[in-house]
Amino acid sequence: MSLPPHRVDYLPIVDRPRIEWPGGARVALWVAPNVEHYEYLPPRDPQRNPWPRTPWPEVQGYGYRDYGNRAGFWRMVEAFDRFEIRSTVSLNLAVFEHYPEIGAAMLERDWEVMSHGIYNTRYLHALSEEEEREFYRDCVDTMRRHTGKALLGMLGPAVSNSSRTPDLMAEAGLLYHADWMHDDQPVPIRVEAGRLVSVPYSTELNDVPVFLQHYDSDEFVAMAKAQFDRLYREGEQSGRVMCLAIHPYLMGMPHRIRHLEEIFAHVRAHDAVWHTTGGEIARFFLDHCYDDFVAHAARLQAEPEGKAQDAR
Amino acid sequence: MPAERRHGMDHDHYAWSALPTRPALRWPDGKQLALCVIVLLEHYEWEPPEGSYGLRRPSGGIFPLPAPDYLRLTHREYGHRVGVFRVLDALDANGVPANVAMDALTAEHYGWLGRHCVQRGCELLGHGVAASRPITSRMSEAEERATIARSVEALTRLSGAPPAGWLGPECAESARTPQLLAEAGIRYLCDWPNDEQPYAMTVADGELTALPMFLETDDEFALWTRRMSLDDWAAMVVEAATRLHDDGADSGRLLVLTLRPWLIGQPFRIGALESALRAVMSLPHIWAARGSDIVDAFRTAGR
Repeated sequence: MSLPPHRVDYLPIVDRPRIEWPGGARVALWVAPNVEHYEYLPPRDPQRNPWPRTPWPEVQGYGYRDYGNRAGFWRMVEAFDRFEIRSTVSLNLAVFEHYPEIGAAMLERDWEVMSHGIYNTRYLHALSEEEEREFYRDCVDTMRRHTGKALLGMLGPAVSNSSRTPDLMAEAGLLYHADWMHDDQPVPIRVEAGRLVSVPYSTELNDVPVFLQHYDSDEFVAMAKAQFDRLYREGEQSGRVMCLAIHPYLMGMPHRIRHLEEIFAHVRAHDAVWHTTGGEIARFFLDHCYDDFVAHAARLQAEPEGKAQDAR
Repeated sequence: MPAERRHGMDHDHYAWSALPTRPALRWPDGKQLALCVIVLLEHYEWEPPEGSYGLRRPSGGIFPLPAPDYLRLTHREYGHRVGVFRVLDALDANGVPANVAMDALTAEHYGWLGRHCVQRGCELLGHGVAASRPITSRMSEAEERATIARSVEALTRLSGAPPAGWLGPECAESARTPQLLAEAGIRYLCDWPNDEQPYAMTVADGELTALPMFLETDDEFALWTRRMSLDDWAAMVVEAATRLHDDGADSGRLLVLTLRPWLIGQPFRIGALESALRAVMSLPHIWAARGSDIVDAFRTAGR
């Protein structure tokens, strides 16, 4: 029996239906730049202070991130173009309204937009059910208004979530949730109605924790290459997902862009890679794998002495 | 109680003993270093019971978030779903027996994984009920006994035998823990990172041996708390093992290496473990063993 919150059944990665990505790829790679706006004077949240360094405004923290939109993003876009890397932008959707040039640059390149909430200073933690429902309406409408497209997935705004989040996401028609760090493959997330999957994002292969907690660009490149190489090897048995999570205010810095390019060059030097997006991974999984995964998990639960334990 | 100013320890769990004053310890077959690798399978609950003690900064995730902290909780879950298989394969590939500290919630709710560990021949250590329910002095004696009993029962049901060893959840204890573990039939305890050899603990019932974990090579302490670089960690493990191995020519040494699949089992980290194990296992007089075999050898040596 799964443990609370009963969202995910246990499925050991060595005993699952095989995932065969399009074109026989071993790794589905999605690159997720987080394009964000942190408010200068956000509404007060009872549980979380985005700007703890000084009484507000906190212009250093604000400016560091604002740099990403004014300068870093544009340098980063060139690197994506040069290596023809597809992007799934984890977007604070109000960026469409504040900075239309950024929206246009993304749409011009047919980048996929994933919701990262409205602002990175508006959290889901303390919202009531109705407030959170209204939040998804806003996200879906804003997406439709600016792109003409349906919203497919979300990484919670500033990685905030509530216990109801998966249910309300599915209710709003979203397909995938990126806040689950528990796997190297998509996994069904149990919701009250409809279907939802996790598409693995990364809090490890992510420039924010890497740079803010001790390491620098060389380590980030070494991590990314090692991550890719291992998943590429294992992906021969069954497809894996790799996410590269970055922020323009960090990887778009003049002294870091060559490191990002080194990572891009490394993945581009391998053939069996599906250069894809969060939404495409989710759709593929829903169409080809979801039912098998659910059935297999039920079988593992039902067979206490299941024979499959030795498979590896 | 504050310390009394007298010779020896300021508690009764074990006697003071300076390593050079001990008789030489001889491992079987002229081995110089016993390597005991413990893989931690710890479940971190989304909603721990009210009153559970929580570390101020539990590991995992990105930074402390209000509950439910999806990032941290699912990061910790990665070990059970994915990382553990990489770690166990790395141990197998290098001929290192796996000791698995498995908490009761894992044993009870991850049946496939528990049976898999048993089938692979892993030695199971008691590891409490959950990482989110560490044993501390805030726990009543009755609660602590119940925690130990549930842990022992869950592993007994799973493997057919009670666990010989114990590693506390979050390596935490109350002042009662060693006594209660000995009463429950536990033979060895790994929580106190204070020695390079096993030593006898002082208990009223049974016979309890300390197999001290080595804190600095612990993956969480090195890679998460101290944020060492991965290459530096691997080099440190090899250097520590090499020096202990060489010192072990005079009197045998022990290295207890503790590993968390959610951490060292990440795709980009596992290669560092593999290379460190390859180097350590190429030492000429290395003995990689199950905890209970190390305890047997230590006690057979008359200690």
